[in-house]
Amino acid sequence: MDGIGFDIALATLSLAFLLALAGVPLLYNVLMSFQQVDMFSLGSLIRPWAGLDNYRAILAQPEFGLVMRNTAIFVIGSITGQFVLGFGLALYFNQNFPGSSTIRGLFLVSWVMPGLVVGAIWSFILAGDFGVLNALLQMTGIIDEPIFWKSNPALSLYAVIIANIWLGLAFNMLLLSVGLASIPRDLYEAAELDGATRWQRFYTITLPMMRSTIGAVLSLGLIGTMQQFDLFPAITEGGPANTSNVAQFWAWQMSFKLYDFAKGATISVMMLVLVLIASVVYVRSTRSEVRG
Amino acid sequence: MNRSGNKWALLAISLVFAVIYLFPLYWMYITSVKSQSEVFATPPTFWPHSTDFGIYATVWVRRAVPSYMWNSLVIASGVTAITVFLGTGLAYVLARHRNIWIDVGLFAVLMLQVLPASVMVTPLFVAFNQLGLLEWPRTAVILGASAKAMPFFVVLVRATFMTVPRELEEAALVDGNSRPGAFFSIVLPLARNGVLVCAILTFMSAFGEYVYAKSIIQEPGLQPASVGLQSFLGPNTKDWNSIMAYSAMYVTPILGLFVLLQRRIVSGLTSGALK
Repeated sequence: MDGIGFDIALATLSLAFLLALAGVPLLYNVLMSFQQVDMFSLGSLIRPWAGLDNYRAILAQPEFGLVMRNTAIFVIGSITGQFVLGFGLALYFNQNFPGSSTIRGLFLVSWVMPGLVVGAIWSFILAGDFGVLNALLQMTGIIDEPIFWKSNPALSLYAVIIANIWLGLAFNMLLLSVGLASIPRDLYEAAELDGATRWQRFYTITLPMMRSTIGAVLSLGLIGTMQQFDLFPAITEGGPANTSNVAQFWAWQMSFKLYDFAKGATISVMMLVLVLIASVVYVRSTRSEVRG
Repeated sequence: MNRSGNKWALLAISLVFAVIYLFPLYWMYITSVKSQSEVFATPPTFWPHSTDFGIYATVWVRRAVPSYMWNSLVIASGVTAITVFLGTGLAYVLARHRNIWIDVGLFAVLMLQVLPASVMVTPLFVAFNQLGLLEWPRTAVILGASAKAMPFFVVLVRATFMTVPRELEEAALVDGNSRPGAFFSIVLPLARNGVLVCAILTFMSAFGEYVYAKSIIQEPGLQPASVGLQSFLGPNTKDWNSIMAYSAMYVTPILGLFVLLQRRIVSGLTSGALK
């Protein structure tokens, strides 16, 4: 093919940009996690070698166990909520009725809103003494006493999870809807003629046909949840006493609240390992579609 | 069985779902116009007794909304410009060719898509500091956020380019067009809508960017609206009607854009992210 130079130029320019601003920082992060970084050495590339000291220091932090546990609960809770509710709504909107695609599209506003705004709104909804969620729960008689979602150490993490489920639900629903729409209708009709119940049809047709979609949605959910940051400064700031702190917010606090960039980098590297595992699953499950 | 009646029932229930889901947005707007005392009323009023739109003017001035919004606009425009300029070409190349290098490039882009901003911000900050780029903090944020936004843009736009028939391009080449000529006069116009939708999505998410701006921009006069909002969101805040008014001013332009382009955004997203 003639003029291949044009294509190479196009790709090289963008890949060089990505390499400089994503690839190199990534490696630099790993390097910093093995160095002593303080205010004096911040400006130089060659710093005293620290070996695994930073990793030992992180593991020895008293809040390490709590933060890891919170991260696991945050990820599992958010993904479960987003996926189950998203799948339920996707199944509902997959029924043929007037306006279904327009109304479904409305749900996606949560996805384009700035995370800080979503966090601010939920922070007010979940407020203990004058929040509307408590008021609704009390009106319907589900609870007697107001629940202090944000300041109760046992619940603060769940306050952020609730907001995150709201935020991610629509995207899950949209992707699952696309998967549902691609299942041929006549499969269901044939099964119905054979006398399969609604549950049997779901179990033997929908789930197997959706396998790759579900894999991609779950791994995207994991990636998205590990990327979720904005809700924490908006709702709980990781508190009270780190009970709602997760790895991504902790790493940021280390770097930009305590100015301990080496520890911030170290937590990031640990997190990265997790994210990379998820992304391999994601890349594998979308490979056939993406490569066309 | 009455099938059409059934359909209207399904529609009605789906509207109930939508109302429940969109309630937080309603609550934001309605709280913003309540009086201070009504905000704290128990039980809360679901329709305000008295409305006070003056809060918008007060917050606009006292919270320096114009400056914050301007900075958000600058950052979002910069990110969108860089992402579209660099990302479109890459997406095109990744869509047009098939070989081992393309596979490697595609894999790299997909991997970059998953990097959390909170992981990248530490090395970026330290590196920008060493390069002296923190003297221009908004530029630094634009560069970092562009690298964050580009992989997603490339994945979506690549899907758009895949739908442009290769034959059209080959015909243009036979007619004596140069390769860049065929790209700019044939392929790009045909993919215009898809590129535009992805550019708008990039703009929307950059308009709400928080992590990089909070970490890199120290001077309040250069910070975007997300950082401005966080600055009065302390754990013990009581100023909820001001916060909701600020949020409403921040989010309404995006919501307007979304409502206008909803159909296109949804189809653009579904074609690229997953099929």
